This record gives sequence, structure tokens and C-alpha cells, in this order.
Amino acid sequence: MAEARYLDASAKLPYCRGCGHAGVVRQLSRALEKLELAPRSIVLTTDIGCVGLADSLFPYLHTVHTTHGRSTAFATGMALADVLLGSGPLKPVVMIGDGGAMIGLLHLVHAAQLNVDVTVLVHNNFLFGMTGGQHSALTPLDFVTATTPGGNWTPPLDLVALLRAAHAGFLARKFATDSDLYETIAEAIAFPGFAMVEILELCTAYGTRWNELTGSKLKEIAELQGYAVGKTDASLERPSFREMFWHLTHNSHAPKPAKRQGVPSVEGATLAGELRLVVAGSAGERVQSAAGMLAQAGLACGLYVTQKNDNPVTQGSGFSLSEVCLSPRPIEYTGMEVPDVVIIASDDGLRELHANGTLAHCGPDTLVLMDSELDAPPIPGRIVRLPLRKSATPARAALAGIAAWLALSPVLPPAAWDAALANVPPDRQRELFEALRIGRELSESA
Amino acid sequence: MVAEGALTAGCRFFAGYPITPASEIYEVMMRELPARGGLALSAPDEISSLCYCVGASLRGLKAMTATSGPGWALMIETLQYGLMTETPVVIALVQRLGPSTGGATQGAQGDVWLTEFATSGGYTIPVFSPSTAAECHDLTVHAFNWAERLRVPVVVLSDKEVGMTTEVVDDAQLAPPAVIERSAYQGGEPFRAYGFARSEGVPAFAAVGGETKVTVTGSAHDQQGRLRKNAPEVIEVLRHLEEKIEAQASEIELVRADLEDGARHLLISYGITARAARQAVAMLRQEGLRVSLFQPQTLFPVPRRALARALEGVQTVFVAEENLTGQYRAVLAPYLNGKRAIGINKIGAMITPSEIAQSVRAAEA
Repeated sequence: MAEARYLDASAKLPYCRGCGHAGVVRQLSRALEKLELAPRSIVLTTDIGCVGLADSLFPYLHTVHTTHGRSTAFATGMALADVLLGSGPLKPVVMIGDGGAMIGLLHLVHAAQLNVDVTVLVHNNFLFGMTGGQHSALTPLDFVTATTPGGNWTPPLDLVALLRAAHAGFLARKFATDSDLYETIAEAIAFPGFAMVEILELCTAYGTRWNELTGSKLKEIAELQGYAVGKTDASLERPSFREMFWHLTHNSHAPKPAKRQGVPSVEGATLAGELRLVVAGSAGERVQSAAGMLAQAGLACGLYVTQKNDNPVTQGSGFSLSEVCLSPRPIEYTGMEVPDVVIIASDDGLRELHANGTLAHCGPDTLVLMDSELDAPPIPGRIVRLPLRKSATPARAALAGIAAWLALSPVLPPAAWDAALANVPPDRQRELFEALRIGRELSESA
Repeated sequence: MVAEGALTAGCRFFAGYPITPASEIYEVMMRELPARGGLALSAPDEISSLCYCVGASLRGLKAMTATSGPGWALMIETLQYGLMTETPVVIALVQRLGPSTGGATQGAQGDVWLTEFATSGGYTIPVFSPSTAAECHDLTVHAFNWAERLRVPVVVLSDKEVGMTTEVVDDAQLAPPAVIERSAYQGGEPFRAYGFARSEGVPAFAAVGGETKVTVTGSAHDQQGRLRKNAPEVIEVLRHLEEKIEAQASEIELVRADLEDGARHLLISYGITARAARQAVAMLRQEGLRVSLFQPQTLFPVPRRALARALEGVQTVFVAEENLTGQYRAVLAPYLNGKRAIGINKIGAMITPSEIAQSVRAAEA
């Protein structure tokens, strides 16, 4: 009678005669009975293959029939959400075959690392049964399948050993014929973190057709592969994801929402139209952060601003570049058809501006302000060369260059810098104001 | 601002994997979502990211992931699962130059087909395309609303230039719609996981883990979620998956149209290129040309009603987009009343306002 809560006792099991799956579903039902779990607190998550037929046999449980190999990942998503909701615990039980275990191996590994409350029953019958008996990554050595007619020569994956390396809390390897299988399954489900039970089975459609195989020979096969058998690991030392999540959200370091700050308001910007500026230098020399300060200064003056950065694929070497557009009106196109101002702080920057076409697009009104050590490019606009690197140091050359330009074309008031730097820590602030001062002084010699 | 939009929409679950140019969304969600009572998680790959999101949504949470083309390629299996299981989920897809790993730090609008035509059977996936940071916010809220309302995966399709450009957004510019929740099963009629009275209806939702027994499957099924072969009801369910979207097409459509009386030219553009198009239209109008501008913010379903209005009296149509073959132009072709569309296309860099204006001038001459 108790079975009515879990396995549909009246249903004819859809498996071949002698198939290990039939035994497992009965033992799973018995395990749930033993635990006396409410049927609605379980979600049976089934993979693709004969093993995936089990969901229809458990009409009282939530069931999710998934794509091949992904059952563990969907179950993990449900278990994670359940932790957040804090209402559960919802117990996802994954039924997956040896084929699905390999295609979804990553999901098993990550679920083990997270120690999320998911129980995975791997039905290992050494081959793909539903599609005609092809070999899998868990097929034993010398085993004959549709695709290994001369016997399998690739050594099988030891799932228990692999998931031990992923710090799984509960691991077991059992035989479908074990009369105490339900006890192991019950322990796995009761375990508060990730649990995996690999169940060695017969596929009576293909496994026994091509191999001398009986239920009693399964032990021999396991021994030949060097497999540990029984409950191999059960440790509560690692906190489960549920415990970890509680810990992370109930301590003094728990994340708090970012504070929203008002934008300071500075009068005196004299920009009439759009101004497009590009600053180029070397990675690690604070080029993009200098451009960011200009963007902040523009924002403080009530201007519309866009900023976009560029660098090679590696972030810490080669050029570093930033484009800033300032405008009293909303900015549409964010590129640089014709740059108004080009600031070049290093040779890396100069080379990139040649390479990306910026210098070729300079017009007669473009101002190029560059380090005096660099070779002046042949452009139609005005070129100003200043000892930015030498006077302000390489790491402050870009900011000094921007300050020098603003001294020459004062479209933003000096107070805009105070606003832009207001939230910078004091010691760094001093350094930045010093760079601004040097830039202004250098501009006097231009 | 996609992340901000997700938070506005009530997103409570995020799983992501780093990829330029979508990592900013991932980082903001990892930082901000836990602080606002949600759960954000690093997944070991993009397949897991979307599976985790779909699982969380089945448990009842609003969920989102973010990626770019190479990650999207991996998510398509789970996109189809979400479609088939009628699971609400939002994917923020920030395009970069392809194919394959392409150019990680270069923008493009080359994933339009890959986004929309990613399902076996050719089902309509709602796709929104923002051109500004403010639109990223608002369209993400719309995306969540439609995902929840229609129980379907929805894509916010931006690109590197929209996604990675910092720009000023005035809070007053933001105009998100009111937040909508999925309609929950209220009891009464026996629950059917995929039950609908009319084909275009949306099944009431019950969460896995609740008191109502839920049956979810990605295989062909009847309204109760039972596997069936050769049953007419299975075909009805498959039709319903499309018809529930199609029935709402006119309501899903969002556009920014700037139509000029007596315009001879209609310029159509979306995403980052719509910004250059706006500037180009301003230039052309100053020169005395009559040009209308049509920016579909909803790319799919195609905003046919608004497009028909924009086409009235127009002689030439231009479609500007940052891809090689005119992907959206080909999509629009059947809806242009027989008018031929001239493509303005480029890859490797943003299309400039001058390039767009020049194409229109050339047609005028």
C-alpha cells in the first residue's frame, strides 16, 4: 500500500525482461518509503535513454524529463533555487545512464563541487541500450558492444574516483541485484549535499547478447576494472550548499546593494557641440582610468558622456585606448568619424592609432597632443608635443595630457576635476591633482 | 543596464560564465543580485548556465543568463528545452564579431539569424534589440515580462558597442513597463502542466516543489506532459507553442519610429547601428531630404503593424546593420509590400552616420 505514494504499483514496467532498471525503480520506491518523504518534496529528474522512462512510473512525484546528459544540471538549478526560497528542502533525484553521465560529466563534477542537495543514480549497464547497444565511456575493457565487436579497448571511467576528486560528499557503487540497494539509495537521498550512487546493471537486450554475462558476473567485472564497491565515501565535513549559502548571507561581509549617489553639479562648461577625444597609451599606465576621470568631470558639468575602451586580447600588455565623447545633447553615434582631440601618451598608443585608422581620420581642426619623445604623425591638424612621460611619469602621462589639453581649450571648468576626483582615496587623490598641475604647467609652453 | 533592468524586473536567479563582451552583466549580477535577496552563481560552462536558469525557473524564480555568440552556440540545446517545456527565462546575448570565437573585442550584429532561427521547427523566439543603455534597461524588463507572460525563453540581443560603452543615463529617461508575473495555477480544474483551452492560451504555471504535481518534459507530449507518439494532441501542443506567441505579436512589438510626412526614403536600423542612423537622418534632413527612420526594438516577432505604417508612401527602403549579408533585411523582405530594400552593411567596425547618409544620397541622385 505504501508504494502507492511513489511507484505506481499497477503500472507494467516498460523494460526488457531481466533489465536492471526494473530493480532500481523498485528499490528507489522502497528507499523513499523508508525515508517517508512527502512525494511533493521530490523531483525525479530523468535523462535520455531507457532510464528516462522512469518518470511516468512515479505519478505522485514531480518529474522533469530532460535533454541528454543535462538532467544533473537542471536538477542543480532546481536545488539552488530551492535553497534561495528556503521552503524545502526539495530533493532532486537524478536518474541517468552511463552514456548521459559522460555527456553531462561536467554537470556531475560541478554539482559535487557545489555540494548541492542532488542525488544522482547512475544506471551503468555498460552501453547505450536504447539506440542499439553502442559502447560508452563506462564500458569495461574487452566488453563486446555494437561498436566494439572485437571488445572494448578504452579503459572505462571510474566515476566514483573522479567524483571523489571533485570533493563529492557521498559516493557509492552498487549492483542492481543487491538486496540492500534501497538502503544505500535512501542514505544518498538523506545526505544533505551531493550524492552519487553508481549502479552496475545488466542490459539484457545487448549486454548479455554479446558477452557471457549474468547477474553474478557483475562483481567480477567490477573487480577486473579495479572498482571500489559499496558505500565508498560519506563525509559531512564539507558544508552543504544550503549551509554555505546561509553562512554567506548571514555574516557581516554579506553583500549589500551598491549605494546610489547623486551626481555633483558644476557650473561653467562651455562646450557648444559634441567633442570627441581619444587617449592612447600603454597598458598599465592608467590610460583608461584617466579617460574615466574626464568622463566623470564631464558628467559633473551636466554633459552627456560616452566612454569606450579598447585593448589587445590580453589586458596587461600592449596598447590601451579610450574614446570619450562629451556633448550638451544626447549622443547618438559613439564612434570617431573625425576626432577633435587625440592624446598620445606612449609609443604603443601611437602605433595603435596608426593601425586602427584614427590618425588617418584626423581633420584640419584636430588637435593632437603627444609625448615629445614620439615621432609626430603626418596629419593635417595641429600637433602639440610635450614631455608628458618625463614630467608627469609614464603612469600619469595620460592624465597630464588631458589636463594640458583642457588648459589649452578650457571647455570644462577646473572645479569639474574636484568633482571627478571627490571619491578617490586621499593619497591617490594627491597624486592625481599633481598630474593635473603638471599638465597645466606643460600647456603653458605649448 | 541589462543587469539593472533584470533587477527592476524582479530577476532572482542568475548563472553565468565569463565571456567578452557580456562579462559586465555577469559581474554586476554576481555583485548586486545577492545583495538584493537573489542568488547569482558562476557556472562551469554556458550549457550549465542556461540549464541552471531553466531549473531555477521551474522551481518558480525569474532567471537570466548572459553570453555572447560562442556561448550562445552552446545554449541552443537548452533554449529549445525551455521553449518545449514552456519555461520562462531571459538570455542577454551581447554580440561580437564571428564566426566561431571571432573577434572578442569587436562589435557586430551577426547573430540575428543564429538567435531567431535556432530551434528545430522554426519557432518564434521573442527578441528585443536595445540601441542605448537606457533601452537596455527598459527592454530587459519587457523581455522578462514576455518571458513570464508567454512562458517562453526571450533574448535581449545587444552588441559589444551597446554593451561595453559607458554612457550617461538620466533616471528620468527610463520608462520600464509595469512588472508582470507568470500566471499561477489557482486550483479548480485539475492541473495540466501544458493545459490550454484555446491554442493561443498560456498554461497556468505550478512550480516544481509545490503542492501541485508537475510533469515537465522536453519530448513531444500532450497537455498533461505525457509522452505521446502519433496523438493529435501532441501536434496541437506543438502548434500552440507558436500560436501563443503569434497571437500576442502586435502587443510585443516595440519600435522607435521617426516618420516624416511625404518621406520618399525609409531607413530601417536597430541596435548600435540605429544610433548612427539617427544621426544620419538628422544630417539628411538638414540637406532637405525627406527621410523617415524606423528602429524595431522588437526584432521578433517582426513588428509588422508599425512597419506597414512606416512604409506608407515610401519609395525606397534602406536597412543598415553591422553584418555581411543583411540578415534582418532578408527577414523583412516579405513585409515590404514588394519594395526592394537596399542594404547598408559592414563588418569589423561600426557603420558611420556618413556611410548611411551617403547610401541614401546615392539613391536620391
